[in-house]
Amino acid sequence: MKGMRQTSPSPTLPRWRELISSPQRGEVGRGESVSGTVIIGMGNPLLSDDGVGVAVAAAVAERLKHRMDLTVTELHTGGIRLMEAMAGYKRAVVVDAMLSGAPPGTLQRFDPKDFVTTKNTFSSHDTDFATAYELGRMAGVPLPEQVSFWGIEGREFDLFGERFTDEVAAALPGAVNRIVAEIMEWEGAV
Amino acid sequence: MSRITIDPITRLEGHGRIDIFLDDQGTVENAYFQIPELRGFEQFCVGRMAEEMPVITNRICGVCPEAHHLAASKALDSVFGAEPTTAAKKLRELLYMTFFVTDHTTHFYALGGPDFIVGPDAPSSERNILGVARTVGLEVAGEVIACRKRNHEIITFLGGKSIHPVAGVPGGWSRAITAEERIQIEGAARKNIEFARFSLTLFEKIVLKNPVYLEMVTSDTYLHRTYSMGTVDANNQANFYDGLIRVVDPEGNEFAKYHPSEYREHIAERVEAWTYLKYPYLKKVGWKGLTDGIESGIYTATPLSRLNVSEGMATPLANAEYRRMYETFGCKRITAARYEPIHHRLATHWARLIELLYASERMLELALDPEITSRETRNIPDPARFVGVGIGSVEAPRGTLTHHYETDERGVLTKVNMIVGTTNNYAPISMSIKRAAERLITSSAPDESILNKIEMAFRLYDPCFSCATHFLPGKMPLTVSVRDSQGGLLREMRRKG
Repeated sequence: MKGMRQTSPSPTLPRWRELISSPQRGEVGRGESVSGTVIIGMGNPLLSDDGVGVAVAAAVAERLKHRMDLTVTELHTGGIRLMEAMAGYKRAVVVDAMLSGAPPGTLQRFDPKDFVTTKNTFSSHDTDFATAYELGRMAGVPLPEQVSFWGIEGREFDLFGERFTDEVAAALPGAVNRIVAEIMEWEGAV
Repeated sequence: MSRITIDPITRLEGHGRIDIFLDDQGTVENAYFQIPELRGFEQFCVGRMAEEMPVITNRICGVCPEAHHLAASKALDSVFGAEPTTAAKKLRELLYMTFFVTDHTTHFYALGGPDFIVGPDAPSSERNILGVARTVGLEVAGEVIACRKRNHEIITFLGGKSIHPVAGVPGGWSRAITAEERIQIEGAARKNIEFARFSLTLFEKIVLKNPVYLEMVTSDTYLHRTYSMGTVDANNQANFYDGLIRVVDPEGNEFAKYHPSEYREHIAERVEAWTYLKYPYLKKVGWKGLTDGIESGIYTATPLSRLNVSEGMATPLANAEYRRMYETFGCKRITAARYEPIHHRLATHWARLIELLYASERMLELALDPEITSRETRNIPDPARFVGVGIGSVEAPRGTLTHHYETDERGVLTKVNMIVGTTNNYAPISMSIKRAAERLITSSAPDESILNKIEMAFRLYDPCFSCATHFLPGKMPLTVSVRDSQGGLLREMRRKG
């Protein structure tokens, strides 16, 4: 094939509908109904407090996985990836580290409507979560009916290490309890 | 002296930003670009077993884990003296092409494209992928999502895990593919080729046919005559997975060609007192400050520079597009297949789409290769051939990525060094920002569209802020502080999403 002479591609556009694949849960797709709950832990587990969202999500899933249809996902970057990770689920809980100026260990809950971008829900390589969510809607991706975001204030984000700072470690069990309670309430299990 | 700060990464530690200094006449005196530095990576790795590196380094960056995974795997091949089987090399490259398709597609539609498709002067709330879909058609949104989906699925089974691949091992790849999986890959590659061609058509219609944009792309606002770097195969054609590093000078003459393991003989890092960023430069040319030209050792490692060093593209459709780009810029041929380098930085967006088409075509070639379903995916390392030093390199979407490991006789890491894609481009990014600022800022109170055009100067490099993600609400926030010669604040503007 090398060096073969070829004319420029024709400007005919592809037939879009044929290009769009069938949907799968946990991935993106069209026209599928949603079911179950996904808990998404965001952040880098190798960057100190940045990994707190991943740890909390894993702990919540450990408590609930035998009681309901619950999937846990670890995600390093936000934006379009985050929207894709919640596609196909009825409910989504996102847990991330936060750097808002509050005391380290502070837990905050956000609804999508008053959503504040937490540390990893924005992707500098594509877009923020709100835009990604709207993009998904536009593309017919089956997105959750309920979404909540939890932010845990961290202190150290720039140091490689697998340990949390003391305040963040101390806040972890309380964050797990509150998120477990919310999911139980959603599921009507209380 | 006034100072304008563009702060696209408003983390509270506050060292990710652009600083533009104005003199008393309000003209740009200097511009600097800084991104946050992570600490302790080498200490984190030293003392671990070297074979952990492909799964540790793929977490350094959530944006290009595949690039780190492969550079690490290649470094381990050398550490353990285990040359991968040809099937393993093809599987690695296949995973990599699949990743390139998703990465370049996402960049064009979500980051680079909106400036052209929606317009550089459009309000920031419109200048995003939603604005692209509203302008071009809602189906495009669906196709971007579908493209990511079909390729992510392949990366997941080919790499053994979603997002962070785990299949790379010293001497090869731990997972073969089945005949059914091969068929799925072939189908996806064919769709990728169609979408890449559509994207190039879109670029032509919207950018090249628009005199205003064409003027912007070909103006000297975004022009720097630096050396170009990229990885080439035995035919001196761009290859993202493997080959030799080729450097051409600003005129297009080959300046150096070397094995990635010789990088220290060719690349040095400049430390400046005013920043902790280290600027890589060509050792044999020397550091002359943040300036371009043949006397300055500053080089660029981007999609455009990879095309500048390449004797055409190794796949036919991409090669036709390659020729069209250089001929549009009026570049003369240097060899039978190569042209004078393009130094207009906004052409990087075009080059990225040509690479997208190449990656799609190469993915199809590999999917059609009879050896791709071979079970011979690994050479088990022989302890007698253990080396203890390894340097592995790939072309990350954002530039040449080099991993360098040294171990003791047990394979425990004693030294780790990396040059990541964006690092190569620190000096060109700084220069591009300065040039754009010089040309565009005419007062100490520039408006938002001017600031966006300055942002475009670094967005075209797709600099990797992965480790320095954003905090404030909305789209990429932008803080501009204008200061007088005493550092007093004259004016502050903050753009939220």
